[in-house]
Amino acid sequence: MAHRIVGQPLGKLEGIGKVSGQARYSGDVTLPGLIWGKALRSPLPHARILRIDTSRARALPGVLTVLTAQDLPDILVGRRMFDMPMLARDRVRFVGEKVAVVAAVDPDIAEEALALIDVEYEDLPAVFDPVEAIRDGAPILHENPGAYDGAPSERPHPNVQSVLRFKLGDVEAGFGKADRIFEHTFRTQLDHQGYLEPHAGVVAIDDDGRVQVWASNKMPFRLKELLSHALQLAPEQIRVNLTPIGGDFGGKGSLMDLPLAYHLARVTGRPVKMLMRYAEELMAGNPRHPSVITMRTGVTKDGRILARRVKALFNSGAYAAFKPAPSVNLGGAGMGAGVYRIPNLLIEALCVYSNNIPCGHARSPGEPQMVFAGESHMDMIARELALDPADLRRKNLLRDGDHLANGHHLEHVRASDTLEAALKASHWAEPKAGPWIGRGMAMTHRHIGVGFTNARLHLDVGGTVILSIALPDTGTGAHLVLRQVVAEVLGLPLDQVEIEVANTDDFETDSGVGGSRVTHTGGRAAYHAAEKLKAQIDAEAAKYGIPAGSLAAIAQAAAKEGRTLEAAHFYDAKTHAAVTSFTAQVAEVAVDPATGEVTVRHFTTAHDVGTIINPIGHQGQIEGGLIQGLGFALMEEMKTEDGRISTLSLGDFKLPTIKDIPPLTTVILQDPVGPGPFNAKAIGEGSISAVAPAVANAVADACGVRILDLPITAEKVFFALREKVAR
Amino acid sequence: MNAFDYRAPRSLDEALAILGEYGEDARVVAGGTALLTMMRQRLVQPRCLVSLRDVPGLERIEANGGLRLGALVTHREAEISPLVRERLPVLAETFRRVASVRIRHMATVGGALAHGDPNQDPPVTLLALEATVEVRGPRGARGIPVAEFFRDYYETALEPGELVTAVTVPSLPAATGAAFLKFLPRTADDYATVAAAAIVTLEPDGARCREARIALGSVGLTPLRATSAERLLAGEALGEGLLQAAGEAAKTAVDPLSDHRGSAAYKREMTGVMVGRALGQAWEAARRAQARP
Amino acid sequence: MIRLTVNGTVHELEVPSYRTLLDCLRYDLGLTGSKEGCGVGVCGACTVLLDGKMISACIALAAFADGRSVTTVEGLARDERLHPVQQAFVDAGGFQCGICTPGQVVSAKALLDANPKPTDDEIREWMLGNLCRCTGYYKIIESIRAAAGRSRA
Repeated sequence: MAHRIVGQPLGKLEGIGKVSGQARYSGDVTLPGLIWGKALRSPLPHARILRIDTSRARALPGVLTVLTAQDLPDILVGRRMFDMPMLARDRVRFVGEKVAVVAAVDPDIAEEALALIDVEYEDLPAVFDPVEAIRDGAPILHENPGAYDGAPSERPHPNVQSVLRFKLGDVEAGFGKADRIFEHTFRTQLDHQGYLEPHAGVVAIDDDGRVQVWASNKMPFRLKELLSHALQLAPEQIRVNLTPIGGDFGGKGSLMDLPLAYHLARVTGRPVKMLMRYAEELMAGNPRHPSVITMRTGVTKDGRILARRVKALFNSGAYAAFKPAPSVNLGGAGMGAGVYRIPNLLIEALCVYSNNIPCGHARSPGEPQMVFAGESHMDMIARELALDPADLRRKNLLRDGDHLANGHHLEHVRASDTLEAALKASHWAEPKAGPWIGRGMAMTHRHIGVGFTNARLHLDVGGTVILSIALPDTGTGAHLVLRQVVAEVLGLPLDQVEIEVANTDDFETDSGVGGSRVTHTGGRAAYHAAEKLKAQIDAEAAKYGIPAGSLAAIAQAAAKEGRTLEAAHFYDAKTHAAVTSFTAQVAEVAVDPATGEVTVRHFTTAHDVGTIINPIGHQGQIEGGLIQGLGFALMEEMKTEDGRISTLSLGDFKLPTIKDIPPLTTVILQDPVGPGPFNAKAIGEGSISAVAPAVANAVADACGVRILDLPITAEKVFFALREKVAR
Repeated sequence: MNAFDYRAPRSLDEALAILGEYGEDARVVAGGTALLTMMRQRLVQPRCLVSLRDVPGLERIEANGGLRLGALVTHREAEISPLVRERLPVLAETFRRVASVRIRHMATVGGALAHGDPNQDPPVTLLALEATVEVRGPRGARGIPVAEFFRDYYETALEPGELVTAVTVPSLPAATGAAFLKFLPRTADDYATVAAAAIVTLEPDGARCREARIALGSVGLTPLRATSAERLLAGEALGEGLLQAAGEAAKTAVDPLSDHRGSAAYKREMTGVMVGRALGQAWEAARRAQARP
Repeated sequence: MIRLTVNGTVHELEVPSYRTLLDCLRYDLGLTGSKEGCGVGVCGACTVLLDGKMISACIALAAFADGRSVTTVEGLARDERLHPVQQAFVDAGGFQCGICTPGQVVSAKALLDANPKPTDDEIREWMLGNLCRCTGYYKIIESIRAAAGRSRA
């Protein structure tokens, strides 16, 4: 079905401020009298704090105050499980944990003051490896984690934060019937989301005593709730003012430094800005969880999967505070089943405490880890069974009517079509251009996110429709999508619909940005509000005898009677739609046998999507996610030893550059069956998870070595090749 | 950053006087890419920064038989200079491989030498080219061969109060080819895992090597020459097998430090590969040079 | 005391010696278009032109710009009209979150000033020091290609 505005490849029309430099992010906000906060961080992974002397720091000219935990109420913070102090109270549990905070007239003086704070520590035994951390006798990080607010009850060991299970059928029985059983273990690395805007926040207490907040946080209403709890203030006392966010990718949903900025503001009576430097992000942000994943799969001799058991350890670091899911675990653990019909399944994922940087959500939380394991595992099984990797997939793909272990039911399943499209576009079956060149494939699927959004529309006297919404702009293009939806429903040109970004005073609630939900929830809220407004417009038009298209006249007629045409809608998705989106990817790589260097010659990505509202934005999400996946596969790694991260700048922690991207072919299969407006689905997290296994499988095809731990560096391939030759 | 006195002298003598005044508490800054990054990370906290930006006479590229590059010549200027490209293309190519165009606009030739970082690229090629670092100090001017300039990890032969004013690079003899290879398997803007510069001069018979020079970076505390590999080649008839042997010999000459770009063992192995490849390219370039009338 | 021209306007400022050019632009002059990303000169979010040449303002002292001319992203548009490079980024979707975008457009403008018809390889080489985490770079290259084509007219 053709639409007028939905489906048009519109450029980033909401982004004029971003190209002109006028857009104000949280770090750009300035207020009269603004001062700067900086945090002192622990140099040790696990230690008792014996003494903190702030006197020399306080005496430095330009310093207004220095706070430690003694100056703050004893309140723990978190997103779901509240186990983290705002400042370390008598113990530090990771290198980088905040120990004190300074307010000064400029950031350089604030940093100078940090060096003048004397802290005496007493080392405690520490544990860094997640397998070690759950052994008997391991150093314990939290004496009684079950007592924390929001803590799950199952705790096989005090260093376990949470256990998440997915179960279907009876795995042991399934294994009993299998002809062959395969087991492999995979490891993935600590990896930062890589947003280029470090966490930023400004907190000011206004003349009415209300707390005004500007923050790089993508869930302003949840932020308001969490601040209310942390600061012991009524929610009405807090207003979160939305600003555009310089990249989220899952990492910007927590309080971070905001409670400290508040206390500095409270004590000094001045507005406070706190910006994390990138070194602080790499030391104490909330990166993607590293993982150790063992997959055990039982198959019939012709390759049909009968049973799978997955054990995953996510090394969660010193606090559970950054995980938002009710399970305090990673929902992506469910992707241990991949895109396959597995009648007997048991996935068990443990999030484990260790004296490392606390981890959080990153684009498609838990999935790139699981899919790397699962899709590498499938290729290894295919090889053992002497099957083409694509054939092994074909025998096992999900179909219409299947149920997933997380309870989702699937219709309109296009797994097979998506696979075939990727294989065709990548010339899968054709001979390669030379030796040491290989192709590898991988698949995944990503459900459409759920949540709730409030939208309000009103017609101004100039005839413009204003969409008021409290969803921050994290760069996904959502605001333009919402305008397109409203314009389509109302039959208006796009420039007659404007967005007004609201703040938390203007609405009751919103689940915010993330989880691939905004096109769905924001889109549906805007759609239904627009339908309501259209009904009003039509009614008013009839009443006044004005053509329905003359919006300015209608608005003015209503205004004469003291009325404004407006409509609102609260959309709560409540349950997941019975559809998902499949992704199939093929990497073609060349391996230099002398050095192990892997070059991606070409990458193909096929996506089964719903109605596309803005093709440019949609493709941008595919490309961006894919290159993040490539970074995860090949070069991103936060290196840590004994709890100390050594990659503390973007000179050491490497993100892909413009010269590192492969030629790309995108194949789109459109099916207007999504729950979003005009049957849209979701795309934000579809392209990231299958990249690493596609590359790993291509490397194995090119040179016969199987890399089981990410990233796939030249060095690993080189030594694996050498070892292979030696054998 | 810490507070410091910022001085922008208008002559070399003035700059030297300020350095003398502050002693070890002063640092010279040109482009600032290395120094200011370290100061922002609080790795160095000088009491005085002496900027050379207004000192005349340090920004020229001159031909004098070979080439002379003033200390304030930027990487980008050296990279695109017609003089450098024509006379010592391997040097232009080396400057081109550093970081990005933006960094190359700021970073200077003098800075690349004075910083003493064994992971930087230009010192490797300058070492192979047997360049001389021109230095001025309280006791006057002197020339320090690059081979003697890098003493240790981030440590140069500069005495207190001295600064780099230029680098002079002799021209290459006839029948000579040169190549610079930077192996950086992570991202395109990274430092090298291994960097290798090779210079091959052929005998008039075109088959035997008169002289080979091999310099390596990122595989030790300083850039270094692989002299045992060089000796293997001198006077010998070149061939693939000999080049590989030279690569193997180079491996024994290096004692790399493990870093984010590779373990010591990997860097040692890649030394062998990159030396073999650089020699191959240099040999090919030497044959072409010899074939030209 | 430093005297610098920023986007055509002369400013005389008293700044401490340690003030970086980026902090001076953002906080002393209120020009917050240039951003601090990595803080070590790698990501390019702080790219400005100093006497027409791209530099990383986060690792330049404000004093380096004394007596010189700085162009920031705010100085690209003319009389309310976007520079062709800026317009090209909007049309082709060359940004998403926008935090790297000021650096990208300043660098792209410098490229087209130096080389009005760059090849894709030349675009990549020039823009190597401008990281982007959102777009995967494909649409940045398309934007610059389009801007180069448009400049022809």
